[in-house]
Amino acid sequence: MSTLLDVNNLTVTIDETTLLSSVSFHINEGDYLCIVGANGAGKSTLLKVLLGIIKPTSGDIAIHQQAVSRLNQKQLAQHISYVPQAHDQQFNFTVIDFIKMSRYAYHTALSDWANDDQEAFELAIAITNTESFLQRQMQTLSGGERQRIMIAAALCQQASLLLLDEPTSFLDPHYQAEVHQLICQLNQQHELSIIEVSHDLNHAVQHSSSILALKHGEKMWFGASSAFLDTEQVHTLYDQQFVFTKHPQTGAKIALVSESL
Amino acid sequence: MISNRPVTLFLIALVTLIIVIASPFFGSSHTVSAEIHHQILTEIRLPRMLFAFIVGAGLALCGMVFQAMFRNPLATPFTLGVASGASLGAALTVFLGFSFTFLGVDGTTFAAFIGALISISFVYYLSRFRSNFSTETLLLTGVAISFFFSSLILFIQYLSNITDSFRILRWLMGSLTIVGYHDILQLLPFVIICIAVVLWLSRELNLLVAGDDLALSRGVNVQGTRLLLFFVTSLCVGAVVALCGPIGFVGMMVPHICRLLIGNDHRWLIPATLLFGGGFLILCDTIARLIIAPAEIPVGVITTLLGGPFFIWLLIKSKI
Repeated sequence: MSTLLDVNNLTVTIDETTLLSSVSFHINEGDYLCIVGANGAGKSTLLKVLLGIIKPTSGDIAIHQQAVSRLNQKQLAQHISYVPQAHDQQFNFTVIDFIKMSRYAYHTALSDWANDDQEAFELAIAITNTESFLQRQMQTLSGGERQRIMIAAALCQQASLLLLDEPTSFLDPHYQAEVHQLICQLNQQHELSIIEVSHDLNHAVQHSSSILALKHGEKMWFGASSAFLDTEQVHTLYDQQFVFTKHPQTGAKIALVSESL
Repeated sequence: MISNRPVTLFLIALVTLIIVIASPFFGSSHTVSAEIHHQILTEIRLPRMLFAFIVGAGLALCGMVFQAMFRNPLATPFTLGVASGASLGAALTVFLGFSFTFLGVDGTTFAAFIGALISISFVYYLSRFRSNFSTETLLLTGVAISFFFSSLILFIQYLSNITDSFRILRWLMGSLTIVGYHDILQLLPFVIICIAVVLWLSRELNLLVAGDDLALSRGVNVQGTRLLLFFVTSLCVGAVVALCGPIGFVGMMVPHICRLLIGNDHRWLIPATLLFGGGFLILCDTIARLIIAPAEIPVGVITTLLGGPFFIWLLIKSKI
């Protein structure tokens, strides 16, 4: 397995506040990394740095052995795609237009829709099973449907790494399960590498291959997901007591918030 | 409606064409010989109509760009104080009696452009440095900027002699009264540059509407795109304001109606906005010429009369 993303000593300081300090980790091709941590731990900041939204104060990021700082935004978009949080954003596009827009990184102002574009588009629709939504307006979709379109659009971008920022918050349990399932399918069947920010510890442990835990902008723990709940660190991570039990169906270890104060 | 964009665009073009063809023939033309009538048509009404079309198209386009960049139909060069910045620049040149031309562009245009650029930079830095700045706050800032510049204009008027003061007042009402084809040539390059850049950036505009983070993740150089768009819209608004004064609300009404008609894809929205904006202003100008004929009222009065209620309608509709 070759290294896909290598993050080295990443530090972000904005207005003298350190949001991330000396964070290092790497993922291989085909990995599924979950980033966990309390609110304000720097999870979203890390994602934004990877996307080129925030420039790092110091440290290096390399994707496919290329320094990200030397890529322009379009080149970066060919490597990394993004699914934002599922909160309500108003934009009056038809679904088909919205998905097609994500081919931007492969176009200039004058280029036409090409065969490659059409293939990427059709594949993204097929994987996410969103054929029936295409003619609808984005703002008429429910949260879960919209998230599937967001994932379809990100897929259409044909990047090797997909970043998701709490893709299932604000969704009901049914859609949460559906979106989780879709993400796993992308990772396992379509060999897409994934980095997901999640507040759902049990989902992270069960579905991802590795976990990066951030606390106060620092790396607290990084390793295989299966080992994560075995540590006492979950308590420290959230400053919260947890109890552990086994999932009645799968027998996997799950963490529940402790009732005792 | 949205699913058939070519037809919608064709209909908009058709309506515009009808307005363009019909409008020169409206107006008081009694008791004049055929020769004079012909002269009125070719030397007064035709250039004025062309002028109205270019101004309308330019203003509508700048409004469309602002609405897209701030993701709010109420955000336009006028509501955000850019036009009043330009007005202040232009009023200053009248007051100080500047009259120079540089590369065929007169001093008023330069001053208006600089005024527009100053207020646009202010709005830009506010929106950038406070990322959680709500659009409502931004609009209120625009209102504050407008008031501030307006009072400076009043101050200049107060200090001016009666002739200059009247010139400024008359010009502030927004008017398409022009001398001839020369004024069109003054304006045309700015509007064409603006149209060319905006057309070039239509894909980027689409993604900006979806949000800055998403646009960046799709590969858009958001900051560069914004700066370029702010610059060319300043050019365009500055040039228009210098020549015809602040003609309000065209940039709010036209693009918003076009969005409803043809959807949010800027590759279709831009031509629709240009055509509709041009046609709309010709129509307003024709009304302005006819309503108390043989006298005429400034076209800015008509657009603002229409625009005020439209603004309130938008405000009520957008759930605030």
